[in-house]
Amino acid sequence: MTELLQPINGSIFLYYLVANVVYLALLVTAIYSTIRHQRQLSLVRPDRIRHSPLAPPISLLVPAHNEEKTIVESVDSLLALDYPEIEIVVANDGSSDGTLEALRERYQLIETDIVYVQEVQCKPVRAIYMSQVEPRLLVVDKESGGSKADAVNAALNIASSPYVCVVDADSILEPDALLRIMVPIFADPAKVVAAGGIVRVLNGSRIENGRMTDVRLPRHPGEVIQVVEYLRSFLIGREGWAFFNMLTIISGAFGVFRRDLVRAVGGYRPGAIGEDIDLVLRLHRLLRERKADYQIAFVPDPVCWTEVPSDMRSLGRQRARWQKGLLDVLWPNRDMLFRPTYGRIGGIALPYLWVWELFAPIIEAAGLVTIVAAACLGALSREFMVQFLIFGYVFATMISIGSVLLEEITYRRYSRWQDVARLIGYCFLEHFPYRQLHLWWRLTGLVEYLRGDVAWKPMRRVGFRPQGTT
Amino acid sequence: MASVFNLLDRLGPAGVVIQAIAVTLLGIAALLAFILARRGWRSRLYRRRDARVVEIRAQWDTIIDGRSRPEEWRRDPVSAEIVETLLLDSLEEASGAEAERLTRALRRSGLLDARIHEARVRRGWRKRQALTSLGRMRAAEAIAVLAEALDDRSQATVITAIRALGRIGCPGAAVPLLEHLVTRTEPLPTFPVENAIIGACRSKPEVITPYLDRAEPEVKRMLVRALSEIARGDMTDVLLRLTSDPQAEVRASSARLLTLAPVDIALPALSGLATDEEWFVRLRAIVALGQLQHPSATTSLVKGLCDRHRFVRLRAARGLATMGKHLTKVLDEVEATKDRYALQALLSELELSGVVMRYVDQLTITGPGRTHAERLVRRMVDLGGRRLIVSALTEHEEPAVREAIGGLLATCQPGPLVPLVERALAQAPPDASRQLLERVHATLVDALRAGNEEAAKPLKAAS
Repeated sequence: MTELLQPINGSIFLYYLVANVVYLALLVTAIYSTIRHQRQLSLVRPDRIRHSPLAPPISLLVPAHNEEKTIVESVDSLLALDYPEIEIVVANDGSSDGTLEALRERYQLIETDIVYVQEVQCKPVRAIYMSQVEPRLLVVDKESGGSKADAVNAALNIASSPYVCVVDADSILEPDALLRIMVPIFADPAKVVAAGGIVRVLNGSRIENGRMTDVRLPRHPGEVIQVVEYLRSFLIGREGWAFFNMLTIISGAFGVFRRDLVRAVGGYRPGAIGEDIDLVLRLHRLLRERKADYQIAFVPDPVCWTEVPSDMRSLGRQRARWQKGLLDVLWPNRDMLFRPTYGRIGGIALPYLWVWELFAPIIEAAGLVTIVAAACLGALSREFMVQFLIFGYVFATMISIGSVLLEEITYRRYSRWQDVARLIGYCFLEHFPYRQLHLWWRLTGLVEYLRGDVAWKPMRRVGFRPQGTT
Repeated sequence: MASVFNLLDRLGPAGVVIQAIAVTLLGIAALLAFILARRGWRSRLYRRRDARVVEIRAQWDTIIDGRSRPEEWRRDPVSAEIVETLLLDSLEEASGAEAERLTRALRRSGLLDARIHEARVRRGWRKRQALTSLGRMRAAEAIAVLAEALDDRSQATVITAIRALGRIGCPGAAVPLLEHLVTRTEPLPTFPVENAIIGACRSKPEVITPYLDRAEPEVKRMLVRALSEIARGDMTDVLLRLTSDPQAEVRASSARLLTLAPVDIALPALSGLATDEEWFVRLRAIVALGQLQHPSATTSLVKGLCDRHRFVRLRAARGLATMGKHLTKVLDEVEATKDRYALQALLSELELSGVVMRYVDQLTITGPGRTHAERLVRRMVDLGGRRLIVSALTEHEEPAVREAIGGLLATCQPGPLVPLVERALAQAPPDASRQLLERVHATLVDALRAGNEEAAKPLKAAS
């Protein structure tokens, strides 16, 4: 038994070592890349795009399923976006609440017969509405497809601009978010085919008329930890991978894509659970197969504020779904692994996703079991075990604090001292006990997926109102 | 200290882990210290800066007019940066005499020369920052140094110089850029180049034309695209020459340019381009024909409405939707094509562009406008554009307009309308609009029972 445990433990140490080295490398890269981006911003002011006659129109695609609490403010915020030419297409995916009624009342919707050509696959469209007060708004009412992908596809079929931007209905974009996300595309439209922006947690902040008026940390610990997670994931993870042109995910909450390419890959995969990563991977596949010189960019300053789950049950469901989504996307794309055609995507990014994202909960859980077993059986010094666990905890905490540092040296959305102090404090809780809980949710997600349980589970939403108010 | 290392050595692998923990803890401490120190430093810096801004604002006119010596504020880097920022921000919004006054201040204070010097001697980001400032200063003296930067080894610097030349905004700034484009082979990103040419040549687009013949195909495409944004109608010769260019992109851009030419010149040229073999050339031609808003363009636009490419059809529909009083005739012409896709595209566009609702609003006015509106709305309903009108029957905010729509629908072909009205009836709340729906429904059903497929009777009176 002891002889068996030793190589397993050795492999797990190696696994942790590589993970930590990668994360440290990403942190350093992200700091460099962020500083470079900040300098670039001082040279290229996004408002130049606003005055350029060459600024391409953008269709904003808003999938909405039971979003009656947030949909009106969300669409209001989109209509207030500072960009020369936009079109907003809301796809009401068979909502059973008052989503459509809220839109109908606010924007005086009226049913219309406009042409609808189903270029990409989605469930049947019941009706298309236009607004009597807002010519830039269209609402597609469709049968529920059970996935966000299906709703986005319906909106994509009706979009008429050369670029499409997918925005979640429970999200708020900052007024200049489109101008900022278009900066890399505008700089080199032939090369940059898509760009993702940063998604931040809006819980706890104040929203008025679809605009963020006061950025605050949420009160609930579960929400604050998600703030730290989002900062780490976007400011370090996405920024780092994008630097090497290996970004494999553009958040479904906010990203801009060339419409012709999205249609060329057949739009979103209707049954996909992780539709955002799936789309980006299929774009990589298409462009690599075409041997195109392309870039998928990440821009860290166009901010999209999104509501995150405020109770642990919803959070657990969301994380389990993300894990299912990852498996659901990686498995059909397994042929890209280590194939020279797919370059660094197949050689580095995808293997990383398989080993350090998809299998991470299994390896981490197995690691915890075997290390404890080895310590109990005497194959591993108990002191060493404790020290190793402490090291893992301290190192991961340092990376999380690194993301707060990145936030501090660049964007500084949380301006209050007490908010920063709380953020740092929660960095110490992210890796114990939250990470272990997260591990459990991810394991649950994998098991559910393998059992065929891929149904969407509802999440509790509070809408865009600051905590403590009614 | 030696004893600590001895102890770690004796611990073996555990010692390595302890060292790693210690280093990581030090890393955390360093990060925290950095965050705290930076916060403190920034808050002090901004307090000081704000106080300085107030002081500078108080003596702004003396600084601008040179009554206070520049050395007084240029020695302090914070003050110099504040003055330059304020000057450049003001210059962006200023024009005429005020712009000249600010530019004089830039020259007199030495800020312009300092930036020119930096652009020559600095490298990397500092150089790019200086080039950007020079662009914002809009001073002719900066053109030479910006032109030099076009030959820099770093592409980022070249692009910064291109943007800066565009921002200077005078034709003189375009010349080195255009020369660079036609003499060099390195590819440059299109948007910054086109934007810069547009910015620099806006007041004198003819600066571009001599370079069209000298340019390689790719550069020529960029130049024509830029020209299409700023050309004037009196450049007809150039525009017509471009319509027969071998490059499809150039022909497409020329179509866009032709909207500026006199209609008698533009129409035949655009009608020719509307039958081009490349779909995007036809698309541009159709868009341009639509922008002319001239009744003579109708025939070509109707042909465009039957084009094999969807985007061309949609754009032709958009053009036709702007035809105003000729719309009924347009609908007749489109119906005569017997192309159902074409008809549907036009009906969609009329709804989407708000034309239908505009005419619906006119159903209650007095005068000839009302007759035209009635004729058009009835024609639309008979051709298939019913759903929006039926929706307006219950959703329109004006009761008088709803009543007028009801009266009009009651005189349309009842067959296709009855199911739509029944569907609306099933969803309508029990209010006045429901009563109106019921009356419309009763009238249409009566007409249907009477075998009247052509047109129903006048709307039944309210009970």
